[in-house]
Amino acid sequence: MDIFGYYIPIELLFILCVIFGVLIICSSIFGFISLMNKSDSVSELVVRTNSWWKIAIGITVVATAPAIIGTIVLAYVVFVALREMLSIIPLRTADRIVLVASYFAIPIQFYLAYKNYYYLFQIFIPLVMFVCVSIILVLTGETNRIGRSMAIIPTILILTVYMPSHMVLLFHVNVPEFTVGAGGLIVFLIIITASNDIFQFTWGKLLGKRKILPKISPNKTWAGFIGGVITSSLLGIVLSFLTPLNYIESFYVGLSLGIIGFVGDSIISAVKRDLKIKDTDDLIPGHGGAMDRLDSIVLTTPAFYYLLIFFIEN
Amino acid sequence: MKNIFVSFIYTILVRPWLTFIIGVSFHNIKPLKDANQFIIVANHNSHFDTVSIMAALPSNKRKNTCAVASGDYFGKSPFTVTLMKLFFNAILITKKTKPGHLSNLELLDQRIKEGKSLIMYPEGSRGNPGTISSFKKGIAKLLKENPSVPFIPVYLDGFGRVLPKNKVLIVPLICKVRFGSPLFATTNDTKTTLEEVKKEILNLKQKNERDRNQFDFN
Repeated sequence: MDIFGYYIPIELLFILCVIFGVLIICSSIFGFISLMNKSDSVSELVVRTNSWWKIAIGITVVATAPAIIGTIVLAYVVFVALREMLSIIPLRTADRIVLVASYFAIPIQFYLAYKNYYYLFQIFIPLVMFVCVSIILVLTGETNRIGRSMAIIPTILILTVYMPSHMVLLFHVNVPEFTVGAGGLIVFLIIITASNDIFQFTWGKLLGKRKILPKISPNKTWAGFIGGVITSSLLGIVLSFLTPLNYIESFYVGLSLGIIGFVGDSIISAVKRDLKIKDTDDLIPGHGGAMDRLDSIVLTTPAFYYLLIFFIEN
Repeated sequence: MKNIFVSFIYTILVRPWLTFIIGVSFHNIKPLKDANQFIIVANHNSHFDTVSIMAALPSNKRKNTCAVASGDYFGKSPFTVTLMKLFFNAILITKKTKPGHLSNLELLDQRIKEGKSLIMYPEGSRGNPGTISSFKKGIAKLLKENPSVPFIPVYLDGFGRVLPKNKVLIVPLICKVRFGSPLFATTNDTKTTLEEVKKEILNLKQKNERDRNQFDFN
């Protein structure tokens, strides 16, 4: 369908309408409740929903605008996430030059992804940046606790830059007779991941008794995990019209994303427990920092991309 | 003309650069709008401190606010002096005042009597990141001389990592400018006032850490 001269596939338009419809319903319900009941938990919900509005607008831009704009928006989000991770982890003064080099890795990585230089994209951070970080650290000459920095900085780069940058590769997925395009794939990935977080939380609150990782996160329960994964799998089937996959493949993708999203969430939670912090920042009101929201999507993005490629090629 | 140029630079360039690239966030800046004249008292770790505080001020307050800086450090070249005067309305004070001139304290007192607001770092110089060293007495004396002028405590977090002492490389990392509410000195005793000021800044520091660390781990 054409809107102001832009072509937006009808499936994508439909799902965006659903997202904003849900947000309108949530906002009006919470707004109505907060008129009568001014408790902290209600105003917390209102703040959270307002932040979801901003996130939904961002997703709409990435999914519908030309690939170059989507790439720039994603690169900036990744920059914010990397800045947050580098800020919460105590590093040495001698590491500062490596931090600057890490920031410069973002435009390069996203340029490679945008141009679809697949092999360079694959090796740039795990190989080139890994060596660069170590060499720069060696050249600074400060050997005290150098090994720690050599380990931490490439890990953070992989987690916050390399993994989410796979989302840009979705712009290059070409399947004949698949008309929805990259926007549909991105929206599918984000909806599954976000709703997986929400449903794991909701099922946990409703039925949760036994804690799955008591030392990492007190809010994660077996019931929440299993309920969330089942919901994500079913949602995968429902949303399969956004992808070139059939129902069974879509079910497997939903199932995997449910499990991997949980893993991503737990990894960032564990890091936060180690650093004795609750949130990585207070950038997004009601949610915490950018990394608190991106914790599961950094892992589900590459998983989704490679599963998709696997299913398309076989 | 000069004021328009400076506030243009701050709103178009400095503030977006600080928030979107460096990662500075400003907390509790509302009380600044109501305060007419004030002395901002902050901890000092980096050259970024003054830039960030100036950028946080509303532009009609900014043109009336002077940063107090060391003339021994910044007064070396006429170029830096011009820049400091243009963007920070800097009052450069030197350790040894020339005979016949006003002493530092008298100079600052005169500026306050003229209606100017001040930004002061009672630690004197940029210390080690994260630690607040002992305060110098000047601020307490100024507050005693001008009981109608409130002080605004400010805690600056993280700037020591963005641009530490003796470094030129600027690294974008999250930092926070946390303003307190305007307060008046309660006593005439300089020692007690100094302790009050320090306590307020330490309170803001604690608040900052509490915001980060309040995890509900039961």
